[in-house]
Amino acid sequence: MRFIAISCMLACYQSVLACAWVETHNYYLFHVYDSEEFRHRVHDISNDNWRTYLGSTEDYYYFNANEVKDFARKKGDDLMVNYVNNLERYLKCASEVRAESWDYPTKDELAQRNRVINSVLQYAQGKLSSRLRSQHGLLVMRCNMLLGKHSDNITFWEQTASKYIESVYKEMMKNIYAGALYKTGQTDRATQIFAEQGDWESLMTQFYLKRSYAAIRDEYLSNPNSAALPFLVQDFVNNTQEAVDEDGYGKLFVRDISTREAEQMVQFAGQVVKEGKTKTPALWMTARAWMEYLLGNPVQAIAHIDEAVKLDGTDWMKNCARVIRLYIRSAQYQVSPQFDTYLGTELAWMQQMSKQTHELFYENALDRIVHQQLADKYAKAGRIETSMALLAATHAYEYENALDTLEVHSLLSFIDYFNNPSTNTLDSYLKPHINFDAINLDDLIGTKYLRLCQWDEAIPWLKKVPMSYYNSRGYAIYAARRRTDVEPWIKRQWLPLGAEYEYEEQHMTANPKITFATDMRDREAELRKLKGKDYQQACYDLAVRYAQCSFTGDCWFLMRDGKSELDEVRANETDFNAKAVGLLRRASQTTDVQLKERALFALSYAYLNPDRWFEHVWNRTTSKFDTKPQPQTLQYKAFAALIDFEQTNSKGVSTYVSRCDEYIQFRKYWKE
Amino acid sequence: MHHFNCLRLTALHASRFTLHVSRFTFCALCLLTACTTLPELDDENAVYYWRTEWRLDSLERDWVAHYDIHKVYCRYFDVVIDEDDNNEPYPNATISFVDSVPSDLEIIPTVYITEACMHQPHEGMAERLVKRIVQMNETHDVMGVKEIQIDCDYTLRSRQTYYDFLEEVRREAAAHQLRLSTTIRLHQLSMPVPPVDYGVLMIYNTGDPQKFEERNPILDLRDVQPYLRYLDDYQLPLAAAYPVYEWLRTISGVHITHEVGADEILQVKSAVEAERNDLRHTILLYHLDADNIQRYENETFDAIYRH
Repeated sequence: MRFIAISCMLACYQSVLACAWVETHNYYLFHVYDSEEFRHRVHDISNDNWRTYLGSTEDYYYFNANEVKDFARKKGDDLMVNYVNNLERYLKCASEVRAESWDYPTKDELAQRNRVINSVLQYAQGKLSSRLRSQHGLLVMRCNMLLGKHSDNITFWEQTASKYIESVYKEMMKNIYAGALYKTGQTDRATQIFAEQGDWESLMTQFYLKRSYAAIRDEYLSNPNSAALPFLVQDFVNNTQEAVDEDGYGKLFVRDISTREAEQMVQFAGQVVKEGKTKTPALWMTARAWMEYLLGNPVQAIAHIDEAVKLDGTDWMKNCARVIRLYIRSAQYQVSPQFDTYLGTELAWMQQMSKQTHELFYENALDRIVHQQLADKYAKAGRIETSMALLAATHAYEYENALDTLEVHSLLSFIDYFNNPSTNTLDSYLKPHINFDAINLDDLIGTKYLRLCQWDEAIPWLKKVPMSYYNSRGYAIYAARRRTDVEPWIKRQWLPLGAEYEYEEQHMTANPKITFATDMRDREAELRKLKGKDYQQACYDLAVRYAQCSFTGDCWFLMRDGKSELDEVRANETDFNAKAVGLLRRASQTTDVQLKERALFALSYAYLNPDRWFEHVWNRTTSKFDTKPQPQTLQYKAFAALIDFEQTNSKGVSTYVSRCDEYIQFRKYWKE
Repeated sequence: MHHFNCLRLTALHASRFTLHVSRFTFCALCLLTACTTLPELDDENAVYYWRTEWRLDSLERDWVAHYDIHKVYCRYFDVVIDEDDNNEPYPNATISFVDSVPSDLEIIPTVYITEACMHQPHEGMAERLVKRIVQMNETHDVMGVKEIQIDCDYTLRSRQTYYDFLEEVRREAAAHQLRLSTTIRLHQLSMPVPPVDYGVLMIYNTGDPQKFEERNPILDLRDVQPYLRYLDDYQLPLAAAYPVYEWLRTISGVHITHEVGADEILQVKSAVEAERNDLRHTILLYHLDADNIQRYENETFDAIYRH
């Protein structure tokens, strides 16, 4: 039962946060007001009450009228049976009122519905002296609400229900009362109740169009301790934060009006604390400090956040101040033993608070502080292992990414760090968050050497990895079927249709990475000994393998665990395509006509040429894309060389060239 | 946002395609009917009512009386697709009649249908829609209803289905002695005309919401200008609707407010009326609300409602 349904606009507002393509880690740090508090409290207590009545010890999620009635009948509790019967009648009418169907009710049907509600109302009014007076009182107010008798509800609450003992039913009645006040134009009084109850949805609906610095100032001027102020201040500060965060849209905020409004709010927050009328100066001072930081005034921010943590406020406000102080200090302080100690203490406190409160706030705050400040700070200070451990503590995908792209010697240092005893509070906090899998690490280290073309270094690590590991990897289906000696510019190694989406156990008996490393080691050693046509042929053969193991090749699984269209050469990885191109150029110098043709064709391969030989430019007149050749690109030059080859070679070109659709297209433009 | 761009691109294509169609149609009409002139609408002031509760406060009542408004295009409900129910359309956000409708106001029940509803035909929807409107009138004693209006941002993809649907609605409505009108967005001017008695040209929501820093997304003459050339050839009687609303948006938590200056509205009015004289006859504002009334000077409303 809610008085004000959350508006569609709110749904849109929240969806904006959910639609980010890249994780920005911009969780709100100003958190003094729980948007789910009222909903959860009412829901949980109601369910607890039903569970207690049923004498059950199991979790109770949904009210089941029949279950309650059966139990009540067994107990001989006629009052409860009648109550639930009437509650069901009310709920049926309420759902009919809410439901939208093509069959719109007639006057008679509306009248019948009203008769039922009136009958439930009459019944409930007759039970206000019973043992279940609170439940029946709530039923009275619900019926009045559906009938639009808001004044009756105001009277009933003020004269009767407000005197009932404290219970979840009384709290729900008070919420309906606030709704009745709102409906009858007494919005200020309604606001106070919604705010005191933590009914964020009703507050947001009420204030949605009015949230601003001006609204906060007006609310404060009418009542310096208005219950709505934490809601309004939190909303304003988080909007400021959202606006200046690095999320693309945020930059829009740094426009004159919005910046001015935020600065006005900063001034006003300071004024509020100075006036001394507020009972929660921590709220205002924290808001001030956080906005100062966001607006680019870290020095004032540090001074004011240090002050804020000493001021009065609710527990939420004080904890929020402490978290924001950690963020600002993390941004401003240098890495030092003293900072390590402070950080270790604060992170341990946040972890403890997270366990105690089950609030996501502390986890989110950790995530933001680490990803936006600490990881980078420690990495820049040369403390890679601390940086990695901090990332590990957030359980974010960036940790896996960092692990994957870390220099191999840094990974080995990180493993050492993990294996050695902790020497300070920060390490003590961080190390339990690191979780290493030995086999995974062996494969990773070996693969890192592969990426650097250090074949001999890779092999010992890869030898430690059992075949069961490779056969169980997601890429096993590719590894088992693809070869590195197939020329990718002539033949792609597609899997049978549908095979990629069906799990099929693989039974490889040779480690594909070791096979590849050994082959490459031998070929590179051989290359150094060769000359002339043999050398050029060996260059071509090596180029095929480099192209295959690159992120665009069919054997990408040799260097990485997955494939994506967004892939690129990663940090600490050889640009295998570039190596292939270099070798192909050498191969193309050959006098062997067939090899020359293959090498020239390979050099024009799209995946070896990030810059294409053409651009598509939208033509507004014809409403079509025009193809504009780009003669400066390497692919253009490669195709031009291929045409030159065709024109000078008495036999022309092979069918794999002449049938290539892109070559055909190029010839068309080349002629033009 | 991408969806919006797709629509814009679609409209771009549409304009080129239907330019030929409308020229052909126009020539054919000239040959067959010797260029019969369109019936003109009456000189009338009207307004949209786009809230979920019917309740007029004293300011709104006074304003309606002051501007001699006797027609209110009142949104009755929306029709949206229920993805949980086999993509069937269903009514949503139905208005509740908290107050009675004054007898001197003619209500034109208006139904907003999302474009997705018109991606495929839905059998019986026209009948259900008209029946629901008629029932709502009866249940809430809304008397003297002579017309209904359908609002849909149809595109090239949905146009044919929408027009077929309008044909059905028109037949059903005629059985209840009701006329039918529809809204026409500027980009829809380049398409063939819909099968209705007249259209209301929505001269708002003209800009790209993403580029709000460059142009006002509610109304900007520069965004209207490219469509003016279609007006003269558009073979449907048209009323004109102008915006007086404020658009509050939250982009990444930042509040952005859009409202159109009086000068801009009047400039656009002057431009469209210069292109098509009959747009000065029936004039609507979007939408009736105390805040909107207080947003502009009386002189502005006088000027917008000048026939």
